[in-house]
Amino acid sequence: MNGMRELGWAALLAASLMAAPAARADNLPGSRPPDPYRSRTEGIDIQCPGATDPKAVCVSIACGDGFVKMADGSDQYIFGFQDVAGIDPTVMWSYGRLGAEFPAPTIWAKEGQHLYLTLTNLGMIMRPDLFDPHTIHFHGFPNAASIFDGEPMASFGVTQNNSVTYFYDLQEPGTFMYHCHQEASEHMQMGMLGQLYILAAQDDLPDGTLLGTFTHHTGYKYVYDDGDGSTKYDVEVPLQMSSFDPHFHAADLGIQPPPFATMVDVYPMLNGRGYPDTVNPGGIMNNRNAYRSDIPNKVAQKIPALITCTQGQKVLLRISSLSTTEFNTLTAPGFPMLVVGTGAHLLRGPDKPDGTPGKNLYYLTQTITLGGGESTDVIVDTTNVPRGTYFLYTSNLNELSNDNEDYGGMMTEFVVN
Amino acid sequence: MNRERKRMWTKEAATLAVLLLGIAVGSHATILGLTGTSPNPTFNFIAKQGYISTPDGNSIYCWGYANGATGAFQLPGPTLIVNEGDTVTITLQNQISIPGPPAVPGPAVSMIFPGQQNVSASGGTAGVLTQEAPSDGTTTVTYTFVAAHPGTYTYFSGTRMELEVEMGLYGALIVRPAGFDPNVAANRRAYDDPASQYDHEYLYLLSDLDPTLHPLVEQNKLDQYDNTTFFANNWLVTGRCFPDTMADPNVGYLPSQPYNTAPLTHPGEKVLLRFIGAGHDLHPLHHHGNNALMIAKDGRLLESAPGVSGPDLAVSDFTETVAPGETIDAIWVWYGYHLGWDEYGHTLGGPGPFQPNEIYAQSTLASSIGVADTTISVPAGTGHAFLPPPRTFRAIIWGAGYANPDLDPNREVVTATRSLTNPDTFTITRAQEGTAAQAWSVGSIIADTDHGLPLPVTMPSIQNLEFGQYASGSPFLGQSGALPPLQGGFNPYNGYYYMFHSHNEKEIVNNNVFPGGMLTMMGVLPYGAPIP
Ligand SMILES: [Cu+2]
Repeated sequence: MNGMRELGWAALLAASLMAAPAARADNLPGSRPPDPYRSRTEGIDIQCPGATDPKAVCVSIACGDGFVKMADGSDQYIFGFQDVAGIDPTVMWSYGRLGAEFPAPTIWAKEGQHLYLTLTNLGMIMRPDLFDPHTIHFHGFPNAASIFDGEPMASFGVTQNNSVTYFYDLQEPGTFMYHCHQEASEHMQMGMLGQLYILAAQDDLPDGTLLGTFTHHTGYKYVYDDGDGSTKYDVEVPLQMSSFDPHFHAADLGIQPPPFATMVDVYPMLNGRGYPDTVNPGGIMNNRNAYRSDIPNKVAQKIPALITCTQGQKVLLRISSLSTTEFNTLTAPGFPMLVVGTGAHLLRGPDKPDGTPGKNLYYLTQTITLGGGESTDVIVDTTNVPRGTYFLYTSNLNELSNDNEDYGGMMTEFVVN
Repeated sequence: MNRERKRMWTKEAATLAVLLLGIAVGSHATILGLTGTSPNPTFNFIAKQGYISTPDGNSIYCWGYANGATGAFQLPGPTLIVNEGDTVTITLQNQISIPGPPAVPGPAVSMIFPGQQNVSASGGTAGVLTQEAPSDGTTTVTYTFVAAHPGTYTYFSGTRMELEVEMGLYGALIVRPAGFDPNVAANRRAYDDPASQYDHEYLYLLSDLDPTLHPLVEQNKLDQYDNTTFFANNWLVTGRCFPDTMADPNVGYLPSQPYNTAPLTHPGEKVLLRFIGAGHDLHPLHHHGNNALMIAKDGRLLESAPGVSGPDLAVSDFTETVAPGETIDAIWVWYGYHLGWDEYGHTLGGPGPFQPNEIYAQSTLASSIGVADTTISVPAGTGHAFLPPPRTFRAIIWGAGYANPDLDPNREVVTATRSLTNPDTFTITRAQEGTAAQAWSVGSIIADTDHGLPLPVTMPSIQNLEFGQYASGSPFLGQSGALPPLQGGFNPYNGYYYMFHSHNEKEIVNNNVFPGGMLTMMGVLPYGAPIP
């Protein structure tokens, strides 16, 4: 995760020295003239302001197609994103070919930072007939401006061989998500889904700061700026529900029109994997070389869903769903799951007009139900949980399969050491 | 069809219209429906049959509640809008006749009113849940109830619901609180509580239908109608599928689907979203642009002490789960705060005009400061409106005699952080963005605002992008930019548009055609742009 936030300044600066910014008379009105902190090769234009904006966090992501492997061993053709931080624009086309990952690289930053998020559209290797634009929709971003919302009907999609830098002033912490919004029913089913969360500024309070009767200490982490330490956690695990319809993916690979009307998902997943791949702590190698002999295989599923902690720790589960078809319920029998947030917002009633904080609406539960585009923050306090291995799984029991293979699907393990 | 008509708008004409109308437009969108005559509104419904049209070119046989003998078949049934305390009477007759062949009389139908107590029903024949009207066209069933609680409700057939609700026998019921007055801001409320006040209201009556089931009913093959294999392929908002949701109400080419859902608002105005689940499935209704505050569910304010606490159990979310039979009231506001750039494209000092939503928090200096001071205080109890520590925020200080910072040539930009212990004390870094430190007297204004901040990134050439119908071509609210041919065109006032849609994304298609289904576009228009 740290890797993708390190943009490779040396590489970027070198590139910017080599490629002088092209003069462009066709900027949108009111936008700033080109500045020197950028590189540009063909349509790639990675904008990262460096020292001129000390709050800047720069993320560079490319999109295109690729392959992933399901837990039953089948290959699925996908559309997706990949991390291209630090990749020189002159080699990005060859570097990124058929390199889409599922889920997309996780994006995280801190409340108060400025996120410069560059999306470069590398096009489709297996579908050279397709010229689909792509976007990034920062799902749940408060007070979004439509220009950076990534919903193309109200703004634009980025066409092939071009890039755009979206800008977000990160005002609120919480568990968001991101996905492509271009022809969303197709591109999201095809895998253009990722996790995105913003850490709370409360983490950075000086040591000893009093939050009501709670004393903050350096290193403490909170889900939200709760003002009372009630969302403190020790370990965080983002879990994203999603699911694939292999017939839909096969149609896209086979140059057929997307079969929306028959969409039924049979690969339910957490972090892009069905059980038992969910508990594989490593990456999963794909089989793209079988489809393009000039491109070697790649680890295209990099995010395990295994949860491990030490007894007594508080585990934050950042749970989101980007299923394109279903509501799903996750359950962990025997675990006290405390819901402290929904919709990237502290689960607390409205503040009073005088600034008095609203009522805490946290609740303990055994089940979390989310439809597509929903998220929730759950804290599991393992103080009284005996050491051992537990299951976190969907209680939609028909989703505990990897297509025809049973005992799989949307399930993972929760290990208390 | 609507596309062709709307394309006749030109940007030039629209801009001129904004200028002519000025900023004084104070319209408030309201939900269309039948209101009757308070305190004893009476509605005469007749269950009829007909066809709805879906944008994938299909024409689907449906049943619906029609408004009296002259009212055409419609989907959904008329939205009933009554007042708290009204004695509501609805008569129901049934003219459904299944075409076949062979033509046969339709089944008996009825109406039930979840959330209403002591509903009396008379006439017709006794059914499982209520009195039913046989399809003889003459028998009248009468339902009467007192609308005791304000809120958002639904009504639907209480007879063979697995068939009749699928076929379209459902509608919305809105009960206005006592003292409701659409023309008085304080009395334009969803509930009695002032926290339910709003500026605009829109109805999202969500339903799903399986287009393979309806022909079986039409052809009198009810023995083949298998509810257990229900598989929706059309998804509707208040009776229409996108893009028809965005067409005008009562358009001629949708004779059976009178209601649109084409929401509009201005920055900072409160939009009441009345969600109703009227289909088989749950729908995750996602609103772009901002979270909404869910203040009520099933016609009751979310409050710990009814009538006393206000909606203290209200929850903020970016997606509302709307379950079948459920209603949700949520208030959505787009403020445009803290984008990190000025959404109007202003530069400090003008030209403006400075807009009402540009200030996130504002107060005054409680004591004077010199050019070297780095601490300020604001009047007690006003500091909490600013961002809490350790966040820093950009602020502008200007003289009390000026209406906005553009007018004061000595304005100073600072960055500020609230004290950890006293919210009314800020530490500031002086003279930012090329402004000079000034001595400021008591009463000078300090505001957290993005006013005058430039867009931090450069937008690519328009040749590198593909713009949608609701794009203006400009990053800035109220401004337009050059667009490639045949792109844009649906946004005459250069607003910001936000998709409000089912986030189970397979539900935003019309059968095999994307986009469609359960999808609408909310427009945040610049101040002064009219809202019908
Ligand atoms: Cu895409």
